[in-house]
Amino acid sequence: MTQPLSQEQVTANLIAFVRERFLSGDPQGELTETTPLLEWGILNSLNTATLIGYVREELGTAIPLSKVTATTFRDVRSISAMLYEAGEAASA
Amino acid sequence: MSLHELVIAAARRDPEALAVDGPAGRLRYGELDRQADVLAHRLAAAGVGPGDRVIVWGGKTPAIIVAMQAVLRLGAAYVPANANTPPGRTALMARNCAARAVCAAGDLFGRLADDLGPGTARVNLDEPLDAGDPPEPVDHPVAPDDLAYVLYTSGSTGTPKGVCITHRNARAFVDWTVAELAATPADRFANHASFTFDLSVLDLYAAFAVGATVCPIPAELAYAPHELVALLHDERITVWYSVPSALVLMMRDGGLLNTPAPDHLRAVLFAGEPMPIAYVRKLAAWTRARLLNLYGPTETNVCTFHEVVPGDLRRDRPVPIGRATCGDKVWAARIDGAVAGPGEEGELMVDGPTVMHGYWGRPPQRGSYPTGDVVRVLADGSFDYVGRNDHMVKVRGYRVELGEVETVLGSHPDVAQVAVVTAGEGLDQRLIAFVVPAPGSTAGVIALKAHSSRRLAPYMIPDEVHFRAELPRTANGKVDRSALVGTTNSQVPEERTP
Repeated sequence: MTQPLSQEQVTANLIAFVRERFLSGDPQGELTETTPLLEWGILNSLNTATLIGYVREELGTAIPLSKVTATTFRDVRSISAMLYEAGEAASA
Repeated sequence: MSLHELVIAAARRDPEALAVDGPAGRLRYGELDRQADVLAHRLAAAGVGPGDRVIVWGGKTPAIIVAMQAVLRLGAAYVPANANTPPGRTALMARNCAARAVCAAGDLFGRLADDLGPGTARVNLDEPLDAGDPPEPVDHPVAPDDLAYVLYTSGSTGTPKGVCITHRNARAFVDWTVAELAATPADRFANHASFTFDLSVLDLYAAFAVGATVCPIPAELAYAPHELVALLHDERITVWYSVPSALVLMMRDGGLLNTPAPDHLRAVLFAGEPMPIAYVRKLAAWTRARLLNLYGPTETNVCTFHEVVPGDLRRDRPVPIGRATCGDKVWAARIDGAVAGPGEEGELMVDGPTVMHGYWGRPPQRGSYPTGDVVRVLADGSFDYVGRNDHMVKVRGYRVELGEVETVLGSHPDVAQVAVVTAGEGLDQRLIAFVVPAPGSTAGVIALKAHSSRRLAPYMIPDEVHFRAELPRTANGKVDRSALVGTTNSQVPEERTP
C-alpha cells in the first residue's frame, strides 16, 4: 500500500493534468484552484470522463457516482477536497 | 390530453410507483404529484400564470423534474437551462423569452444574475415542498397549440433560437413512442441527454405516460464509460436512448461488450448523428434488444425512424433514417422543388403534428419545415442521411453553427481574427478555435473560454483554443479551413505576436 497523497499533492496533480490535457498547456498560466471548470467549459461532459479515468488510474481513487456532481466538479479545489474525503473514508 | 396530465394520471393509478430513480435521487409518483402541486401554488403566488415562460435552471435532479411539472400545471411553458449554464447566459435566455420567473436549484439560486428582465420572479427550488396538508390540485386546462416548453438551440447569427414546442407537438411524439415500444409500468428508461436536449423528452414523458421509471444520468457522468455501463446494469434499464457517441464510448472504453447483455434491456434507441455501422454490428451481436435509429431536428422532434434489421448489418454506411413517424409527412425536395424519387437526393421536408410552433419572438412556422438535411430516397421510399446543406455541424449530437461561435469569440477585445473548425470524428470530434490575438493582448485559453461561456451554450464552447500569428488563406482570400484542420493533429507551436 502506497502512502496516500496529501491534499496539496492531489491539487497539484489535478492542476497539471487539466493544464496539459484541456488547456493546450495553459500558456498564459491562467488556471487556479478556483477557476470555474464546468461553467467556463474547461470541463465538459466528455472530458470530465477523462478526468474521472485519470483519477481512477493515476491517483487510485474511484469516485462514487453520487459524488459526480456540478458542485464537486466546480473547480480544482472542490474536486481535490472530495477526493481527499473519499481517501480518508477508504483508509478509516 | 396535455403533457402534464401524464403524471397526474399515473399518480392516481399507482402513487407508490417510482417515477424517478438512479444516482440523482428517487421520487414516487405520489410525491412528484404532490410536490408539483405545492410548487405550482408557490409559482402562482410569484405571478406565474397561463401562457407564461419559466426558466428552470439546475442539474438532472428530481427537484428540476418537479419544477417542470409545476410550470406545466399552471398552463405555462418551461425553459430548461443546465446546471453548468453560466448565470449570464441564463439571464440572456430569461430576457429573450420574457420569462415570468426563474427557478434555480442548489447554489445556483444565490448566483442568479441581477439583469433577468423587468418583473421576473426568483424561485428557490431548495425550499422544502413536503410540509403541510395535501395541496389543492393544480391542473390548468391547456389547448393543444399552447406552448409546453421552449428549447434553446444554436443560431447562425450569434443569437440563440428558442424552439417553441406545443402540447400537441410533444404528445404526438410521446404517444408514438409509447405505442412503438409497447411501454409498460415495468419499464425503466435511461435518460442520457440533458433536459435542454429534445432526446430527453422521450425518456421523461414516455415513462410518465405509462407510470414507468426514468433514471436521469447526471451530466458529469454522461461520457464516463465504465460508469455508464455499470448504470445500465445496476439500474436494470429496459430502454436506453442516447446519442451514438455515448454507446460507442461504452463499447470502446467501458467494456459494454465484455459481459453478456442484460435480459432486462429490450430496446436501444439512438439519434442525433449517424452511428458508425461497425458499432451497430457489434451492438446487434451483443444484444437481442430492438435497435432503433431515430431522426429529427429539435424543430420537428423525431419525424422518421428505422428499426435495424439483419440485412442492414451488411451495409458499408450508417443505417437509414427510415420513414415518417409520429403522424408526420416527410419527403425529399430536389433543388428544382420537385419531390425526389428513389435514387435521388433532396432536402428533407417535414409537415405534421411534431413540427414546432416556431422560434420564440419570430413569426410562427407556416407550412412544411425544411430541415437543411440532405437525404437520398431509397427503393422502398425510406431515406438515407447524406449530410448538411449549410455550415451547421454536429458535435456529439449537438447542433453547432460555426458562425455563431466565431461571432462570439470575435467580439472579445483581444481577438483580431478567429476561425472555428471541427476536427476528428464521432467521439473524437472537437470544436477548435484558431485565434489571431490583437496586438498587446494578454487573453489566454481560459479567458476566451470564459468569454464564450457567457454567450454560448456549454456544448458550443470550443474544446481547444490555439493562438496563431496569422490564419492560412485560400487563393481567393478566404480562411483556409481545411489547412487549419490539417494542423490539428500535428504539433504546431502556439504563436503569438510579441
